[in-house]
Amino acid sequence: MLELQGLRQTFNPGTVNEVRALQGVDLTLDEGSFVVVLGTNGSGKSTLLNAVAGSFFLDEGRIRLDGHDVTRWPEHRRASLIGRVFQNPFSGTAPGMSIAENFALAARRGRPRGLSWALAPDLMGALRDRVAGLRMGLEDRLDNAIGSLSGGQRQALTLLMATWLRPRLLLLDEHTAALDPKSADQVITLSDEVIRRDGLTTLMVTHSMAQAVAYGDRIIMMHRGRVVHDFRGAEKRRLRQEDLIDRFDEIRRREQLDEGAAAMLRELYV
Amino acid sequence: MTLLLGALTLGLILSLLAMGVYVSFRIFSIPDITTDGSITLGAAVAAVLLVGGTSPVLATAAGALAGAVAGALAGVIHTRFKINALLAGILVMTALYSVNLHVMGRSNVPLLQANTFATQGERLGQALFGAGPLHVLGWPVTPGDLAVLALALLAAVAAGVMLYLFFRTDVGTAMRATGDNPQMVRALGADVDRYTILGLALSNGLVALSGALLAQYQGFADAQMGIGMIVWGLASVIIGEALTGSRSLGLALAGAVLGSVLFRLLVAVALRWGLNPNDLKLITALFVFSALVLPRFLARRRGGAPAA
Repeated sequence: MLELQGLRQTFNPGTVNEVRALQGVDLTLDEGSFVVVLGTNGSGKSTLLNAVAGSFFLDEGRIRLDGHDVTRWPEHRRASLIGRVFQNPFSGTAPGMSIAENFALAARRGRPRGLSWALAPDLMGALRDRVAGLRMGLEDRLDNAIGSLSGGQRQALTLLMATWLRPRLLLLDEHTAALDPKSADQVITLSDEVIRRDGLTTLMVTHSMAQAVAYGDRIIMMHRGRVVHDFRGAEKRRLRQEDLIDRFDEIRRREQLDEGAAAMLRELYV
Repeated sequence: MTLLLGALTLGLILSLLAMGVYVSFRIFSIPDITTDGSITLGAAVAAVLLVGGTSPVLATAAGALAGAVAGALAGVIHTRFKINALLAGILVMTALYSVNLHVMGRSNVPLLQANTFATQGERLGQALFGAGPLHVLGWPVTPGDLAVLALALLAAVAAGVMLYLFFRTDVGTAMRATGDNPQMVRALGADVDRYTILGLALSNGLVALSGALLAQYQGFADAQMGIGMIVWGLASVIIGEALTGSRSLGLALAGAVLGSVLFRLLVAVALRWGLNPNDLKLITALFVFSALVLPRFLARRRGGAPAA
């Protein structure tokens, strides 16, 4: 479904702010798999998601999605295949427009837009049903500006918008990180429901070990722009939070060792 | 009464300008100075065609179309060449000054002999009500002036309704979202650049339409007539928002029309009271400045967070 080959990306090359965000990432996602991406800060996990979404063009590497080579496709063109929920609840919705109008936009994701009425009656009917399914009482407030809602409500609506037309790939970028614990719980539960119901191929970035253990069928662990661990199948199901923490500690120790060894070598030979 | 009637007619004609500025400034958050050039462009194109004997409808439409092209050009410079929106507008406005002079062939084209929407309106009024003055609320009014006012009202209402309907379609909704949250619009598969170009074309098309009608109403097109027009448009939009007190689409468009008319009435009264016409633009600029700053200032005084 999704095939990443040798992705490399350096931001601000040749300056003091140079960041080697991706240093050769290879990854293949099977149809219908729900992959969780874990990583330390600055490990390149969000960059990976943005690279797939098309927020920037890669220095090197190829991206194949649903049989298309999308490496040179601009973001809005890839959106015909991709549904996306951002970390910031403000990013996924247009605050000045009503809930219904936001969904009218989502209902034409990747399709040509013409001069037909945006709030068509059949859309409104379907919308009321689906929004009622959120059990947030928003179905009676479809004409309210989305900016008046809480972060959790907006994130739940963004998820519904991203999956309104079944996407070939769903990208979730730490989409519960900015929410209070209760809302975060609601949104992650809802995400899991939608992903299972529609069998969506999903790439979810998260900081939360608990989420990584509880959801999905595969975990990718990233560090310094590389994939360092790939847990799947029975191994993923057996995995507990402590195991993940151990793996992170192991990475950190190995790194300290490397630095310590480098310092020793410097003292001896330089 | 003639003064009042004139201010009303002018206000309605310039409400098209106000709606154009509403599109660029409020929907796309771009203070688009192309406005100053495109209103003159609309006037110049229409005037030259009218002098050549083209029908008023066709000449006016051609003026509006020329403005739309100018707006699209500013949009292309802004989006495709990544130039600051304000600077893109300044570039196009500056270039248009020369273009307008070339279109007109000189700095002023009088329309005294030409067949315009104003002369047609007067003929229509005389055909309907005869040549003599009518009495409206006890004031004598010429049927011609009344008919021209009716035509201006028709143009403003028609443009307002069409704009409202357009912004409720799929394309129009996507355009409004582009100004609200471009990141989201990209993620939902719409080309932000394309919608920005389209929006500036629409805005400047309306502005040039206003210019084409203005030239016919005042009886000439002039290379200098566009100076400061964007500030007048902004003043109208701001007055309109104060009147309707709402940012909802329909009310905002109605507010732009009402604001433009009220603004013209205020100007007419001020001039009648002996305001030096040379001070008009200074006062308008001060008014827009205070209208933009005052809400934030008041919010800070109340100890609340400043309005965005």
